[in-house]
Amino acid sequence: MEDPLPSYEGLAAAFAKAKAEKEKEEAAGLRDRTDDAKAANNQGEVRFKAAHGLLLAFFSWILLLHVLGIYLFTSGFLLTRLVLDYKSSCAVPPVDLTRSYQVGSPELGCWHPKTFEKAVVIIVDALRYDFTVPFRPQGIDDKPHHYHNAIPVFYETAVQHPTNAFLLPFIADPPTTTLQRLKGLTTGTLPTFIDAGSNFAGTAIEEDNLIAQLRSAGKRIVHLGDDTWHALFPGYFEPDLTRAYDSFNVWDLHTVDNGVTEHIFPLLHPSNTSKWDVVFGHYLGVDHAGHRYGPDHPAMTSKLEQMDAVFRRMIETLDDSTLLVVMGDHGMDAKGDHGGESDDEIQAALWMYSKKGIFGRSAPAKIEPPATAKERPVAQIDLVSTLSLLLGMPIPFNNLGAPIEEAFIGKKGQDYENLALVNRLATSQIHRYQHEYAQARGLDENARSSSLSLWAAAEDSWVSLVRAKSPSAKQWNNAYSAFSAYQRETLSVCRALWARFDVARMVHGVEILALTLIVLAIYARGIDGDRTELTPALFLRAMIGTALGLLVGLATGFGVPSLPLEHTVIYATAVGSAAGFASGFWYVRRRLVSPIPRSIWGWVGVTLTVALSVGFASNSFTIWEDEILLHFLTTFGVLMAISSFRQADIIDRALGCYHSILFIVLTRIASLSRLCREEQMPYCKSTYYASANSSTSAIWQLAIPFFVAFTLPNLLRSYFKSTQSYQGSAILWIDFAFRTGLLISAAFWTMDAADDGDWFPGYGALLKTSKIILAQIVFAIALAAGYSTFAWAAPLLNIETKSNLTAEKSEERSRQVVAEGGSSSITILGYANVHGSRYALLITMWLLAVILVQKPMGGGAIGLLGWQIFSLFEIIDTNHLSETPVGPLVLGFLGSFHFFKTGHQATLSSIQWESAFIPLKTIKYPWSPLLIILNTFGAQIICAVAVPAVVLWKQPPKKKGLLGDVAKAIATHLLFYAVINLATTMWAGWLRRHLMLYRIFNPRFMAGAIVLLVVEVVGILIALLGVRLNFLSVAEIFGWS
Amino acid sequence: MSTPGIKPRPAATPIDILPTDAARLYTHIHPALLLSLYALRFNAIVADPVPALLQTLIPLSALQIAYVTVCLPPTAGSGSSTPAVPKAAKKRASAAKTATGSNTVKIVPALLSLILSLFAITPLTGITLILFGAPITTHFAHTFLAAAHIAILAFLPLVYVLGVDGERWREVVGLLLPVDEVVGGMVGTLVGAWAGAVPIPLDWDREWQKWPVTIVTGAYLGYALGKLAGGLVFKGRKIMFD
Repeated sequence: MEDPLPSYEGLAAAFAKAKAEKEKEEAAGLRDRTDDAKAANNQGEVRFKAAHGLLLAFFSWILLLHVLGIYLFTSGFLLTRLVLDYKSSCAVPPVDLTRSYQVGSPELGCWHPKTFEKAVVIIVDALRYDFTVPFRPQGIDDKPHHYHNAIPVFYETAVQHPTNAFLLPFIADPPTTTLQRLKGLTTGTLPTFIDAGSNFAGTAIEEDNLIAQLRSAGKRIVHLGDDTWHALFPGYFEPDLTRAYDSFNVWDLHTVDNGVTEHIFPLLHPSNTSKWDVVFGHYLGVDHAGHRYGPDHPAMTSKLEQMDAVFRRMIETLDDSTLLVVMGDHGMDAKGDHGGESDDEIQAALWMYSKKGIFGRSAPAKIEPPATAKERPVAQIDLVSTLSLLLGMPIPFNNLGAPIEEAFIGKKGQDYENLALVNRLATSQIHRYQHEYAQARGLDENARSSSLSLWAAAEDSWVSLVRAKSPSAKQWNNAYSAFSAYQRETLSVCRALWARFDVARMVHGVEILALTLIVLAIYARGIDGDRTELTPALFLRAMIGTALGLLVGLATGFGVPSLPLEHTVIYATAVGSAAGFASGFWYVRRRLVSPIPRSIWGWVGVTLTVALSVGFASNSFTIWEDEILLHFLTTFGVLMAISSFRQADIIDRALGCYHSILFIVLTRIASLSRLCREEQMPYCKSTYYASANSSTSAIWQLAIPFFVAFTLPNLLRSYFKSTQSYQGSAILWIDFAFRTGLLISAAFWTMDAADDGDWFPGYGALLKTSKIILAQIVFAIALAAGYSTFAWAAPLLNIETKSNLTAEKSEERSRQVVAEGGSSSITILGYANVHGSRYALLITMWLLAVILVQKPMGGGAIGLLGWQIFSLFEIIDTNHLSETPVGPLVLGFLGSFHFFKTGHQATLSSIQWESAFIPLKTIKYPWSPLLIILNTFGAQIICAVAVPAVVLWKQPPKKKGLLGDVAKAIATHLLFYAVINLATTMWAGWLRRHLMLYRIFNPRFMAGAIVLLVVEVVGILIALLGVRLNFLSVAEIFGWS
Repeated sequence: MSTPGIKPRPAATPIDILPTDAARLYTHIHPALLLSLYALRFNAIVADPVPALLQTLIPLSALQIAYVTVCLPPTAGSGSSTPAVPKAAKKRASAAKTATGSNTVKIVPALLSLILSLFAITPLTGITLILFGAPITTHFAHTFLAAAHIAILAFLPLVYVLGVDGERWREVVGLLLPVDEVVGGMVGTLVGAWAGAVPIPLDWDREWQKWPVTIVTGAYLGYALGKLAGGLVFKGRKIMFD
């Protein structure tokens, strides 16, 4: 094999020259290599390796900046709370009970004697406090609004019968959305973004709560109204008495309300009261009237008047042993919306009523309900401990609220003993919870020091009280105050930990992401010529800037103790880094050009990327992202078809049209694979699985992977053959290894279905074991065999020697014909696509690995993706677009599109956790998370791997600045994801109190951030390293320029 | 297709409207009439798109036929005696005479253009709509009626002035023709229909968000704007891609 090398050398050199000079050049090249030439070649290799290493360093640096920005934002935004699985139990009170009461049973009261047998708990959604109290003019011109004085029943009863009723402002913890509020009202704890518990994806409440306690005590619970309850408490309610209604149709003011009223009064009838213990009713009309008309509208008046009549009637029908609780879960703002943290949104009303006459006030002045919600408010979480103790239930384990004074102080308003007892119970439970939480989370005692000292003080006052023979009311009162001081302190500590956004961190995180985006944009689109020449200067200055920033950050962080150290250091480092890049760009300013697009391609790319990003500020556009991507991809396809029609060369034109139309049609075919998210209903039909309610494939879908295995290798082969590059390793790899891998993968999915459906009873274990082995074989083919092939393969070339007569006829681009003199000539087959064809092997390897981890339908989608990618290469070539951002951008859109076509959505519930078990029996780190990433972001990974091929496809082997072109393409591809990430981050931060934050914006932000990091890692570790192997292999034959 | 020896064809020139007073007047009234027609029919289209769109095709076709016969020179290749581009001022009078004198004759190419638009271009436009994401299993009548409206708006005038010359139609698809009010109208209609998809996903719960109302609305608005811009602002310019 020694001999042909010099002649290849000469041939390659000849290609670069004009035809007239060819012979001469060749002669020079055909001479034995001189030492000078060898040395020059070695130098070329060293230069390449250095330039490549710096590119790796540069992109790693961008990755680091993105990690810092995302981390800083996330740490201020995604506040997490650990959900403890502990449940309170009737027999185990949090503290030793006093002599006055022994541990009881649910019949008598668990920790404290119970007051009521039964309860009717009604939520009037969005019942704001000022709706319930009489209007008091603030000035002469102040007139009552439509929402004033329309529901006076609560105020009247509280004033006229203070022992039967009380009315208080009821303050919600934001976010003021019904789902989050119901969690708070039943668990007694504060909402956070991620309640990191055992069930990550579901909506059902897992932690201890009032409903679960009632149910485990054998109480029969009925629910009427808003169906959100059923998502939170599936299967908790008496099925034959319960009536749930759709909660999302805000235009309908009456269906839910009439339904609740229609069913609740029969239950209250004496003949039916034995059928249930607790009724939860949820009226939505007030909320819907607010959403639809706003509070200041006659519709609100009539709605409130209707509610007023309902509760007057309920008072009449109520029996003596039943407690009636009516409350708003949140308020509404001036437009009637809610979700945020403004006063109007958090100020709801709470009214309790019973015929027993046991409520009291600590002072006569407190009989009249407060005029505004600023006076004597109670927290919504206080309801949990209050209701638990009144009904004789244990207080839920995670509760942080305190019993409401009016319910326990007795009708004379002097029973401080009772008040101290119930507060001691609630507070001890809080203390127990805090202790367990601190242990589980590893919190240090410092953070709790002030609350712990309050706990010690409360214990002291209790001990002295127990020692006294007959404690005075004052002593009881002191103990009560001491316990509630601890409760209030703990609550404020928890609120700071869980419920507050750290806006400074969020803003600084966004700033870092924005600065990095600017750096990336200038690097990708604002530099003239070869990027590898400039990267050393840029990187050096960035390093210096980073070091200075780090020093400044450390100095400030340690020097100014009031600043949080970690935050300061991260921010200063990142800003220093960006400043370093800025100084680097200044240094190379002669090479800078405006990054503003200069062609229709640039403008379309910018417009569509920005349109998509801006759309993420709207929940509708975020929900329908899959359809928008289809629209945009087809737009690109149509533009590419139009551009093909413009080509002067008839072959370019025909090929370009064919591949553009193919691209469009394949996009539309792929779009038929859908997994709808809940919000897309009823306008979307899932096709990804056998039916909308299953996560297994239909039988006919099992044929898709086989179809892919039989067709995809042939299709891809044709893209190699068009340049006669189907040579050497490609034949073995594509025709044999790739196809075998696809076939085994198809077999895997059939066996998986057999296993799931139990087609062969008794052979389940065998099926399980063998399918795992099959999956491992596919991975071995794709990655082990694939990478060995890719690393060692020679470029896909072949030599043909022909007599001059026949060679004359085959003057094609794909061949390099060199006259040898005499009667024969040498032809190099596959010369036209040396770089691209060889690099494309890497894409097929990852195609195989990704197809394996997708469900059958997803395998089909990824197969289409592979075909589309190769079509795109041809379009780029025939339309001469490798300089434009089209290739990397379309790959970005394509990757995002096929993310949806492989059965995913930007929601936590669409993560296919089971893909971790495709080649493994148990969870193994780091493989299981990597498999889930490969499944979830497989499409984006393949597209990122394909990016270098956009600029390598059909380029001459020794083209100048090819590596710089690769850097430019990768940077442009990353730019697409960086823009999306910055936009989704900003929107999530800006809309942090939005109604749809948890459902829509937060998952999209998380998906955007993870995709960006995954694509960057893939770009560095797979694409850039693949390019290195490729260049080294090509240079083996053609030498370094 | 092309064999050596045939002279390269002359480059296409922007189309001028006929040099008659009626043409100069009606070319400005026409978009206003079209938009008024659409505004008049809008509520009916929103209420029940299929019959309303179908009925609206008739006045739309009538208006477009009136427009092309009054304002535009018919294709040179379709057998008409009228030259495609009246050149000199000397010829203008005779051309005007031909244009005004043979209105009944010009009805024939106009009707042919309508038939071609309806039966050749509408299916292609409909398939394009489906490729862009229109429902693939339902709403066929909706989609293809929208396609018919787009075809008559965008392509009827083009068929009338270009005929069925293959090379000219390659230039149409490649956007290689110089901009004039006919090309501007076509580009405007297509861009308008494209942009008409934007409000569909919004959760505003409005009746008019239903398929294909916004697309057709975008097409009408786009046609009026594009015709205006193509005829007045960008006339004679080339659309550049690079």
